[in-house]
Amino acid sequence: MLEWMRVLASRIRGWFSMGAVDREFEQELEDHLRRLTEENIGRGMAPEEARRAARLRLGGMAQLRETHRELRGLPFLETLWQDFRFALRMLGKNPGFAAVAVLTLALGIGANTTVFSWMREVLLNPLPGAGEPTRVVELESLAPSGEWVPTSYLDFTDFRRYLKLLESVSVAQPLSLAVGTDRDAEHMWGEAVSGNFFDVLKVRPEVGRFFEGAERDDKQNAHAVAVISHALWKNRLHSNPSVEGTTLRVNQHVYTIVGVAPENFHGSMAGLSFDMWVPATMYGQLTATGDWMLRDRKTRMFRVLARLASGVSIEQAREEVRAFTKRMSEANADTSLGMSATLLPIWKAHYGVQGSLRGPLSAGMCVCGVVLLIVCANLANLLLARATTRRKEFSIRIALGAARGRLARQVLTETFMLAAAGALAGLLVTGWLVGALRWLQPDVTLPTLARTPLDAGVLAFTAGLAFSVALLAGLAPAMHAARQNINEMLKEGGRSAAAGTHSQRLRGVLVLSEVALAVVALVGAGLFVKSFNTARNIRPGFAAEGVALGRFSLSTVGYDSAQTDSFCRRLREQLEREPGVTAVSYADSVPLGFEGGSWEDLKIEGYVPPADENMKIYRNLVASGFFTVMKIPMLQGRDFDLQDDREHEPVMIVTSEFVRRFLPNQTVIGKKVYGWGKWFTIVGVVGDIKVHQVTERLAPYFYIPVRQIFRPEMGVTFYVRTSGSVEQAMAAIRRETHFLDPALPVFNTTSLSEYITASLFGQKIAANLLSVLAGIGLLLAAVGLYGVMAYSVAQRTNEIGIRMTLGAQRGDVLGMVARQGLKYVLPGFVVGAFLAAVVARAASAALVAVSPADPGAYGFAAIFTILIAVGSTAIPAWRAMRVDPMVALRYE
Amino acid sequence: MAEGKSEILQGTLDLMVLKTLEAMGPLHGYGIARRIEQISEEALQLNQGTIYASLVRLLQRRWISGAWGASENNRKAKFYSITKEGRKQLAAEAENWERISSVIGRVLQLADRR
Repeated sequence: MLEWMRVLASRIRGWFSMGAVDREFEQELEDHLRRLTEENIGRGMAPEEARRAARLRLGGMAQLRETHRELRGLPFLETLWQDFRFALRMLGKNPGFAAVAVLTLALGIGANTTVFSWMREVLLNPLPGAGEPTRVVELESLAPSGEWVPTSYLDFTDFRRYLKLLESVSVAQPLSLAVGTDRDAEHMWGEAVSGNFFDVLKVRPEVGRFFEGAERDDKQNAHAVAVISHALWKNRLHSNPSVEGTTLRVNQHVYTIVGVAPENFHGSMAGLSFDMWVPATMYGQLTATGDWMLRDRKTRMFRVLARLASGVSIEQAREEVRAFTKRMSEANADTSLGMSATLLPIWKAHYGVQGSLRGPLSAGMCVCGVVLLIVCANLANLLLARATTRRKEFSIRIALGAARGRLARQVLTETFMLAAAGALAGLLVTGWLVGALRWLQPDVTLPTLARTPLDAGVLAFTAGLAFSVALLAGLAPAMHAARQNINEMLKEGGRSAAAGTHSQRLRGVLVLSEVALAVVALVGAGLFVKSFNTARNIRPGFAAEGVALGRFSLSTVGYDSAQTDSFCRRLREQLEREPGVTAVSYADSVPLGFEGGSWEDLKIEGYVPPADENMKIYRNLVASGFFTVMKIPMLQGRDFDLQDDREHEPVMIVTSEFVRRFLPNQTVIGKKVYGWGKWFTIVGVVGDIKVHQVTERLAPYFYIPVRQIFRPEMGVTFYVRTSGSVEQAMAAIRRETHFLDPALPVFNTTSLSEYITASLFGQKIAANLLSVLAGIGLLLAAVGLYGVMAYSVAQRTNEIGIRMTLGAQRGDVLGMVARQGLKYVLPGFVVGAFLAAVVARAASAALVAVSPADPGAYGFAAIFTILIAVGSTAIPAWRAMRVDPMVALRYE
Repeated sequence: MAEGKSEILQGTLDLMVLKTLEAMGPLHGYGIARRIEQISEEALQLNQGTIYASLVRLLQRRWISGAWGASENNRKAKFYSITKEGRKQLAAEAENWERISSVIGRVLQLADRR
């Protein structure tokens, strides 16, 4: 055993048996003393004298005991414990200070932990519950233009069979499901997955099993089995342990539950949670599309997830995929000419929410850092103020022989305790805030964002945060305490008029930087809010106000083409009779939504596309009256009518951008366009609309009568324009639907204006998040400023009294205090604005149609800064103004 | 921690205590202090209490052990005795000490000769 280890072990033992050893040592000293006394008596001294001489020979008893104790025990821990108890007492004596400090810390740490846990959820840990998630990659097919597209089932089976550098390959496709009975169906989101899906993600079932044996083959519509989420199992099936083998009605079909996924597993898309997994081979049954979709290489609709074989890098595997898809595109030239594929890490993949959240969350994290710095400055400020009021205590302790290091340690201990308490409170705040991301997200038909759990990673982050805050905020006050000059302090004594100029200056600098940081956060928030509003006000080409949407997934109740048609016609008639309703129509998709819409590969009569031109044109399947409801101008030709069904000639309406690009300077009406295996005749031209993002450039777009192409898996959306309340129209949609078919779940009614903000999802989250954070920053800066001003006025009460006795008016006193406030705020604003300009330039890519030097944002920051300056100076100034000279002069 | 061999005085006291215990067999604190004073022919007047710090340090390193026992005229006292490891340590330290003192002696003589 090493010598120091032996000593340490002995010290630890000694620490625990302190009392017993103390008594033993006492006896030993007593014995020694007696022997010395006897020796002295033997030399002829008188007993009294002998005892005194013995004490002198032995040395100071108290000191001996102290050294002995220190050698035996763990003096470091003991002083720590002492400091801890002392700090607790001091904080208890000053609960106001402790409360403000802890609250400040809780806000800062809570906000940081929250945004961090979102970041981790969305970007760093996109597949919670999966084993070795970093080995899971996304395989994305690439169109000839280089655009990413989903993958067809047949391509997937080839990948599964031939790719050697991938351990396993699976598909997943979100699926809208109605789960329950005829009378009572609940809308849920599930995933259609290949049998090996859970192997790819390395998930173990909590109850029962996952897909096995024949359930894993490619035979279609043969295995009506389902794995359910932990949440569904708990909420609907009351955590029944023998759930295996029970049945559920899923889209009107009976499915047998085979297993339950673990609680922390929510499916394969970052940030979203799904409730059910069914074999992908059941897709045809669940969407009532028969079995053609999985047999058609051109029907690309699956997301492909794969696990890298062990020891293989993503680059190696990507190269294999590239080479293989090149051969595939040649072998299947009729369907896949020019196609290829690539591998991406999950956090870079296009599915899921990470794409739209990456920017806003990163901006949020930066502003969080700024807020945390404000918190540090604020805490340092509070500690300094306290140190100044504790000067007497410190000077007395130094005079009594306390080491300066010991004082610094005491202050640091207090800071660490505050930080620890702040971190705990911050975790409470976080627990409440993490769910708030869902409120920030627009109300659209998406699977709900998974709740972020507080796990070891987040806790470690919080602890690290608390530690750095304590160090950052506590260091200056600790050094300040250690640097106390007793002489100066004793000289200053009670006369505190000029007290602590040094600490006062330091506090001024801290407040100045708080204001500056708050300005940075404010400018950031202002820029993103403005960017969001600008983007929202871009005309999308249709009038969204006054339109209610009702979205159905008719496939969930197994409607075929005729049933869908009759249902839609009847619902439309019912809704048209509603008071206030001016127009009703329906379509299969909604522009500017989350889903992105669908496209078709077109050939256009008389237009020869260059080799690299992308002829995949986005489209909408609409009923007659769609353009009236949307107020899209009809520029040429006619609208669709009831005659445009399958019995009649296929027709198409195109946008003016379509015309400009493909059919310029010619008669458009009557031209033929080829898609879906047939030729369509153009019967009309309408105005352009924005399809994916309001900020995008115009692209060609076209419309087909919904009755000519039946795609039941796509869903139907009703559009109801009303001159009355949109809320009422939404209620009418729900009521009438229930009246027509109680088993049909309306999974979402919303207003079109609300819905299209989904295209601004990221922008909206950034604007909301940054506003909240800037608000917190501002509040903290205000508290800091108030603290310094209030303290300074209290310190100067005496001086103010003298001034007033000498004839100063209340206005003069007010001006004096206000000037002092401005001394902090003005330079703070200037520095902050400068910093903000630098930061905003770096973030300008995330801004829509707003310059990083936008004067509005800076003006807005200036107004708020002035407001907090006035707000936090007003009370101290008012107090100063009301100083009674007589009282002030006696004040000490 | 505060101890350390660099502190010569502390180190020499520890060394003397070890040597005393080796030479005299088990002794109590008073006995050790007296013995060191006698050997030094009263040249070294100890603050006798400092013996105890030295004893703790030696105990912690397990170079000595301590036990309560009866002394002359049946008084209870704590007796310390050197351990096997203590003897080893003493041998090493004594050799070390002689080397250092001879070096210092030579250096001092050298200084004298100039």
